[in-house]
Amino acid sequence: MTLLSVLGVISSAIFSGTSLLYTTLGEVITERSGIVNLGLEGVLLVSASTGFAVASLTGNPYLGVLAAALAGGLMNLILGYLVVTRRGNQLASGLALMFFGFGLSALIGKPYVGAKIKGLPRILLPGLQELPRLYASLFRFDLLIYLVIPAAVLVWWLLFRTRWGLGLRAVGESADTAFASGRNPWLIRYQALFVGGLLAGLGAAHLSIAYAMNWTEYMTAGRGFIAVALVIFSKWHPLRAIVGALLFSAAVAFQLLLQSSGIKVSPFLLDTIPYLLTLLVLIIWGGTRKHAAPASLGRVYHGTE
Amino acid sequence: MNKKLFGSLVAIVVTTAMVLTACAPAATPTPLPPTATPVPPTATPVPPTATPVPPTETPAPTGPCLIIGALHGGPISDAGYNQAMHEAVMAIKQNIPCVQIIEAENVPDEAGAKTTMENMIAQGAKMIIATAFNHQNPAYELSQSHPDVIFEHAGGWMMGPNFANFFGKPPDAWYLMGVAAGKMTQTNKMGFVAAFPLGWTLTFINAFELGAQSVNPNAQTIVAFTFAWGDSAKEADATNSLVNQGCDVITMHVDSPATVISTAESRGAYSIGFQSLAAQQFAPEYWISGTGYTLGGTLTWLASTVLDGTWKPIFLRCGMAEGCMAMAPFGPKVPKEVQDYVTQVKADLEAGKIVTFKGPIVDQEGNVRVAEGEVLTDDQMSAVDWFVKGVIGSPK
Repeated sequence: MTLLSVLGVISSAIFSGTSLLYTTLGEVITERSGIVNLGLEGVLLVSASTGFAVASLTGNPYLGVLAAALAGGLMNLILGYLVVTRRGNQLASGLALMFFGFGLSALIGKPYVGAKIKGLPRILLPGLQELPRLYASLFRFDLLIYLVIPAAVLVWWLLFRTRWGLGLRAVGESADTAFASGRNPWLIRYQALFVGGLLAGLGAAHLSIAYAMNWTEYMTAGRGFIAVALVIFSKWHPLRAIVGALLFSAAVAFQLLLQSSGIKVSPFLLDTIPYLLTLLVLIIWGGTRKHAAPASLGRVYHGTE
Repeated sequence: MNKKLFGSLVAIVVTTAMVLTACAPAATPTPLPPTATPVPPTATPVPPTATPVPPTETPAPTGPCLIIGALHGGPISDAGYNQAMHEAVMAIKQNIPCVQIIEAENVPDEAGAKTTMENMIAQGAKMIIATAFNHQNPAYELSQSHPDVIFEHAGGWMMGPNFANFFGKPPDAWYLMGVAAGKMTQTNKMGFVAAFPLGWTLTFINAFELGAQSVNPNAQTIVAFTFAWGDSAKEADATNSLVNQGCDVITMHVDSPATVISTAESRGAYSIGFQSLAAQQFAPEYWISGTGYTLGGTLTWLASTVLDGTWKPIFLRCGMAEGCMAMAPFGPKVPKEVQDYVTQVKADLEAGKIVTFKGPIVDQEGNVRVAEGEVLTDDQMSAVDWFVKGVIGSPK
């Protein structure tokens, strides 16, 4: 293994980890307000196809990113209507949203299958101009990558350092108590869903517009569910989500490197490494009381009569 | 108050979504996006077995002379397999104007395929062309209950009185791509992104490596499996991983070549396309060449035999010589002498002077897999579970 291939794992982890991290951050906000969104896969697909379609139509990748974020927000509002206003079961509604997303994204994306778009421009990390092209191309990142860590810090700040975040977390812990102290749980949950959807949309945009530069049906390949798992992995904390997303993506890149290193291990087995690693960390990290899930996660708030 | 506000807000969202849903297909009446057209129509005028098609100039005054129902497993603009098959079906219409084509795309599963075909037959289709792997069983079933309809399936093995199979022969084309790659590589390492370690995929990889070795004994093919036909992000990861290990030529066997080729281009690595010749658009600079299915001539000939009543069930496999597989134009960085050499090898393959899987062939461990004087048969190719010497990666 050469220096280039090791640096390559880091680079790949950053590239494919970015979409996961945005999505995970969005789900952290949503779950902190007490709503688990199992439809995230569908939200990602609709955002990715919408963003790709707009980028292809307008020729402007940034408009595509914007459209993807909005699409994500709107998809989450649909879930909001089901689980907040109509008080539906969150798990069932989420799964329904996922299947809705499968179909809708296929429909939106269909005319753009195989279309060639201008991807998000990539800018070399400052100070690396002297590197040979092969190395330098590892560290040419797009705007969404540069913004993802600041986004994680921003989400942390919003959740833990603002009154809005305090109210949001209060609703997630106990909607009744939050209501008694003058908060509006319905409004807060809608807001959390919308912001979470915007972030998921950014993740999806990175996937289709910046990284793969392609739309194929079901291209998210389970990343929505991985993001839900990463929220648990990071114990509902936005800064720990950075570690989770990077670790998972690095494991994917590492197993691809192992596969092609000539090692005599079945590629089927190597492909499970990222998931085994996630399980392993969860076992080691264990379930301490301190960082447990928001108390009313998944519960329907029926209001206080 | 707030609840009302949200109620109406969500109502708007849902309505918008539904309106969008309703409008999306209407806004795009053209089945092919403009990007998919740089390739000249793949209608090769040469049918595989002599009998030139007399273009039936007399369009029947009452309706079409033959209704053909064609169905595809994926979207027909994917710059990959489905687009190649779609263009082949459309070639029938170009060569025999009096036929009418009913086409259905995105029919991946067996149940959907059966309904779709029944529907086409109900609309008067007398010939069905089913191009996806999963279409074989339902098409075969229907062929038994509809003896008056001719069924042609792509790439399967079943045969019946009114059911036959046709396909191209990619291994020789892959050998040729290997020759081009072996000539172009500077690092002697070539990367192959593959979906699953299936028999035919391994055969393509082996043919590619054998072709490269024929011009460059040190050439190695490094393989990375993504375990999905359409996980674009993982394809990008795999491409980057291969480039980082020194590969300067990248090729692939996944559904859509778009991501792998664009990623290779962005890293300054050469690329070679597969499935449809349309893949070239994603690599304006570092494209070497590509190979794809060009079955338009074959399908035209088959349709013409259905028209004049001479159709017989034949198990049809045709290669580059018969025009069923074609090579894409060379990219701008391929030197003239490489182009000439590759063209010469193509002629030799077509003339049978070069046979791709002719023994002796040894696998990665040095075991002889094809003995001196033997040639791998089609059946054996579909069940290969080993890599030839020179391929880096594990085949199972």
